[in-house]
Amino acid sequence: MSDQTTTKREVAGAPVPGSEELLRDTLKRCSAETLEAALAYRKTGDVSLVSVVVLGIVARFLDPDVADKLRSGGDSIEFMTDLGMDSLTMIEAIMMVEESLGVSIKNDELLNLRSVGDLKSFINEKLTGVASEEPKTFYSVDQIASIMPQQSPFLFLSQATVSEHGANGSYLITGQEAFLEGHFKGNPVFPASLMLEALGQLAVFKLIKNPPKEVESTIDSSEIYFTGVDSVRCHRICKPGDTLEMKVQVKRVRDPLAIFSGQITVNGEKAVVTEEITLAFKTEDASASSEESANGLNGGTHSSNGSH
Amino acid sequence: MERKRVFITGVGVISGIGNDVSSVSESLRELKHGFSAYPPFLDDPLAPVTLVSAPKDFQVDSEDFEDWIYPEKYRVRREVLRGFAPHGLYVYCAMKQAIEDAGLEEGDVSNEETGIYTASSGSTRLLYHNMSRMREVGPMRCSPTGIVSAISGTLSFNLVASFRIQGNSCGFSSACASSGHALGFAYDDIAMGRQNRMFIAAGEDVNYESVVPFTGMRALSLETDPIRASCPFDAKRNGFVCAGGGAVLVLESEEEVLRRGSTPYAELLGWGQASDGHNVAISHPEGHGLIRAIDKACKSTGINAGEIDYINAHATSTLIGDASEGKALEGVFNSNGHRPKISSTKAITGHGLSLASALEASIVSIAMKEGFTPGSAHIQNLDPQFEAFNIIRETESKPPQIALSNSSGFGGANVSLLFKKV
Repeated sequence: MSDQTTTKREVAGAPVPGSEELLRDTLKRCSAETLEAALAYRKTGDVSLVSVVVLGIVARFLDPDVADKLRSGGDSIEFMTDLGMDSLTMIEAIMMVEESLGVSIKNDELLNLRSVGDLKSFINEKLTGVASEEPKTFYSVDQIASIMPQQSPFLFLSQATVSEHGANGSYLITGQEAFLEGHFKGNPVFPASLMLEALGQLAVFKLIKNPPKEVESTIDSSEIYFTGVDSVRCHRICKPGDTLEMKVQVKRVRDPLAIFSGQITVNGEKAVVTEEITLAFKTEDASASSEESANGLNGGTHSSNGSH
Repeated sequence: MERKRVFITGVGVISGIGNDVSSVSESLRELKHGFSAYPPFLDDPLAPVTLVSAPKDFQVDSEDFEDWIYPEKYRVRREVLRGFAPHGLYVYCAMKQAIEDAGLEEGDVSNEETGIYTASSGSTRLLYHNMSRMREVGPMRCSPTGIVSAISGTLSFNLVASFRIQGNSCGFSSACASSGHALGFAYDDIAMGRQNRMFIAAGEDVNYESVVPFTGMRALSLETDPIRASCPFDAKRNGFVCAGGGAVLVLESEEEVLRRGSTPYAELLGWGQASDGHNVAISHPEGHGLIRAIDKACKSTGINAGEIDYINAHATSTLIGDASEGKALEGVFNSNGHRPKISSTKAITGHGLSLASALEASIVSIAMKEGFTPGSAHIQNLDPQFEAFNIIRETESKPPQIALSNSSGFGGANVSLLFKKV
């Protein structure tokens, strides 16, 4: 009897955490499809429902025209740049995802959730414990500029996410780049050679920020050079207003060479593909004291960790 | 340095007596009150108060801003609305009106020479709700705009951001004198040449948490008949009726008025302030602070008390407060042989607390522009201690030439503003 009394009081007062009533309240301004998916997920634990719930929650915070963009854009759609959400709206959406799916997301994890795809795979991983994708870290243009040897006006990387096996980055062609005046006269086209440069810069950034496991001592960021590129195909002319979406993946590393594959897309269209970009690097051991024999196992002796 | 002249060029009002200048004007001419019984009080046996003065066509009681109902024409974007307290929405709408009324373009609103001073006591209701929710579900599940919508700077944060204000900004918190201070310091900024244009934006919630605590102070009238509930200067007055809403005034320098070719409502001549130094919540029985505030306003503007032909009194309909103001007015005016017209428009508007001074400055501005002097409603038996005053019971169809508006807040903060017909 006392149990019944307790239940009654809870129903009359605040909704019980995790209850269906609370879920319905949380999702009351989402589409019926979103609520159904969340209820079904609660019952079945079917992870394939997660993306319906996540998209439904994000859509609920958007103006109708932007919501269309979300539906048609796929996983590469970014919350802030493409949907105009600010970080407060992100928090509102994340709280709703947390309540609906019973996950919790930490502040530093939140910072790396830039796109719909990021959020979906992150939640999937939380729920299943299986990483569908490797963890990534996001860097802003200031963070990039503070460690890259290349600088404005020759830095073609305005944001990047780096993971163990590669990196993604982007660069908006503003039209202010001085070389566009001459390339070409009256017809500004971003040079293909500089698109390869941009991919190379992304690969450099990946080497500095997340050095391959094969390299046992610290890579000297001022001593990374471009040595080759293979099998390049250009598919699309890129002009001011286009955002170069870049991707490099580590193919193999053998000190002092790191070989990447790379590609650039614009609005999902292939712009440049290259099978190999090769960078040559020096480790700090090698560049600081080349006369001292370094047998490869003494990488930890220099106390310069963290200088980058 | 010579002081610049300052003019009131735009007004916006969301209040119990009307949601725009023309309906407020009509209520003032006909002395129609804006009171109604507030349903949540009727449902609560512990709340002895019945009446409030709340803007019609707004339903903003829900803690969830997405439930709010308000006139379609204002349409506030979600990311703007989510930072508002209930009174934030009132004031946002009043601001839209004031900008349109003054004929300001976007560039006139957002530039380095245009600022905003606000007056609000925050939203006790939202604070209470947010704290309860935080205790229940923990801080990580609370609204990220919980703080900016609830604490006492809320009006400044929100309006500066949503109207892209780039000049001076600050919030004032001196209870019922707050918007008087906002007006005064905004006057100073323009007079001294620090800004060309200032918005004064004031507002208050009107809900359970904003109103009922005043019954504990025995400050509210518990009458259910509106005419008996708010009756400043009446022998049977027994407390005030709480008002919520928003009021916004646009102040501009003479150069701006000439440059834009606008027709001002009135000139704001200047102001004075002084403190009682007496009691945390009760005004000085002899009105000492208010006397000095009026004197300072006169001295700083070069106006002789005898030139003032209308006083919009602070009088809220409390026994002690009205008596104290009476002593002050007697000291400055009657004892020197002056008998200006006096009224308290709180008889029909109720007492708007932080909003009061800006609402009354709006009323004086409207009266001067449209050519009337608002009367003091709801006096059935004039308290004998006010018999020597020229308290006008009906609205007169002649505008004042020089008007004084008083406001007094907790702690004995007194502000007096002087207006001149243009």
